[in-house]
Amino acid sequence: MPGEEMSVSVNGQSRVPPGFRFHPTEEELLHYYLRKKVAYEKIDLDVIRDVDLNKLEPWDIQEKCRIGSTPQNDWYFFSHKDKKYPTGTRTNRATAAGFWKATGRDKVIYSSFRRIGMRKTLVFYKGRAPHGQKSDWIMHEYRLDDHTIDTNASGLMGETTQEEGWVVCRVFKKKNHHKCLDSPKNSSVTVEENTQILKTSNDGSLDQILQYMGRSCKQETETNNNIRINTSSSRNNNIRIKPIQVSVNNGLHERSQQQLPALESPILPFLGKDSTRLDQIQACTSQAGCYQPIDVQDLPLITQSEPSVTNQGFSGWAALDRLVASQLNGQSETCKQLSCFDNDSNMAFCSPPDHELQLPQLRGSIHRSSSYHTSQDYNNEIDLWSFTRSCSSSSDPLCHVSNSST
Amino acid sequence: MGDGNVNLPPGFRFYPTDEELVVHFLYRKAALLPCHPDVIPDLDLYPYDPWELSGKALEGINNHWYFFSRRTPNRISANGYWKPLGVDEPIFTGESKKVGMKKYLVFYLGEAPTGIKTNWVMQEYRLSDSGSSSRSSRKKGNSKMDSSRLVLCRVYERSGGSQGSFCDEDGDGTELSCLDEVFLSLDDLDEISLPN
Repeated sequence: MPGEEMSVSVNGQSRVPPGFRFHPTEEELLHYYLRKKVAYEKIDLDVIRDVDLNKLEPWDIQEKCRIGSTPQNDWYFFSHKDKKYPTGTRTNRATAAGFWKATGRDKVIYSSFRRIGMRKTLVFYKGRAPHGQKSDWIMHEYRLDDHTIDTNASGLMGETTQEEGWVVCRVFKKKNHHKCLDSPKNSSVTVEENTQILKTSNDGSLDQILQYMGRSCKQETETNNNIRINTSSSRNNNIRIKPIQVSVNNGLHERSQQQLPALESPILPFLGKDSTRLDQIQACTSQAGCYQPIDVQDLPLITQSEPSVTNQGFSGWAALDRLVASQLNGQSETCKQLSCFDNDSNMAFCSPPDHELQLPQLRGSIHRSSSYHTSQDYNNEIDLWSFTRSCSSSSDPLCHVSNSST
Repeated sequence: MGDGNVNLPPGFRFYPTDEELVVHFLYRKAALLPCHPDVIPDLDLYPYDPWELSGKALEGINNHWYFFSRRTPNRISANGYWKPLGVDEPIFTGESKKVGMKKYLVFYLGEAPTGIKTNWVMQEYRLSDSGSSSRSSRKKGNSKMDSSRLVLCRVYERSGGSQGSFCDEDGDGTELSCLDEVFLSLDDLDEISLPN
């Protein structure tokens, strides 16, 4: 085997060898890249660029954050959190065309059983709050744990406040019920598995998702330290309500950040999947003299080689999504109630306990959902599994993270 | 083995597409063109058990193992055998040109036909017949026999259960978790409640 040294030059021409992708674990993102960034250490290669999030639309990210010329499904950058108000702690994540809005709740990232940071999930909305139009662009924003930063700063109090603004972000497009085409993951689904997908997607998926909801409710007792906003207020309440409540709280929290003047025409021309793919192809071709000419062909047309069963399998998910959405939309009365205190909170910032009182119907629906809860064990674990549980299960993502460090 | 001669920063992993495997690695190897980087080892016909591949084959993302081999009528290892699933999948380039075929095999413990099925799966990539014959006729000579039987194998262990095998397996967060999807739909509910 020749001992050739391959290297990456992100800003120059591509030197990423064929077959290799930048696909860091969450631990690598936090422990290696963000830690070095925060500590002003030199990072060998300029793989992750600094980006001003407020000046970068998601559809420009893939051009700006390209790594070599290989096809990418996700893009990475460092960003320094810009405070919305000089005195506050809120982050301004608005761009010219829209804004990033948090969804769900933050996930704790562990490294060998030690908590090292947090992950926030955000969705890009085009337009101005509260009239934004949800897009498929998703961002995972990773920040180091407060404790980690404290030990790193080692007494330099002045720098701590400045440093804690750095985050490392991963941006990707939500896949709409069919897997991304150039992902090898897709191709590794065997014919046998495809039939299993067909079998399970029709009857099992709803149970599965309901089980997630039910399970997440249960696990709240173990993981609710993530949600500071709730822990103080809801100990005495029915814990099953929490996931809903969290999303409501987050929604309020984020919305009040986003009080920007409404634009006349908030919706910019949407660059659909095809056009961005086209951009990708063009960008690839324009990088003439890059290492592998093959990459140009590497993009979407591969679909045709995939068995059509796969698509059917995921259209089952589409149906499921519609079902869930319709169930949720059925709660419109609750929504009205929500909107009542929504107004209040914008003016007076109600405390969370008030919100809980407004949610009887949601609570009822969650109870119904959790009755579908079965004891069956699924392998695709989700971030809400408790930490202890994840350590004992070998198929758990967290275990992958810790294993990959060895 | 690993990617020792590829000097990449943390986070880079071997994560090839089907097309890359066929066009870049398999084709070049069969055509005796220099492979750059030459990371996939040639295990020839050695009949390793799949769990023996660690340290011998190239490890890619998600514990997938990659190596070159030769096509054989039956693949029998010390403790079992590989049984084809009987369905071959064509590999196309971006220009819809068929360049290769992918065969699926499952590892069985014991002796055929009474072996016990395992979760070990092999994807065996070979050049498509037209491509390899035209090339070998062009090249003639010594490599002809060898290159037409050359295959590139990807071996991995499917995660235990049958359920949810289509969901994100590596857990690196490049895919939204199912729960995140639920939260996203709850955001829709949130939107409805917005005051006018």
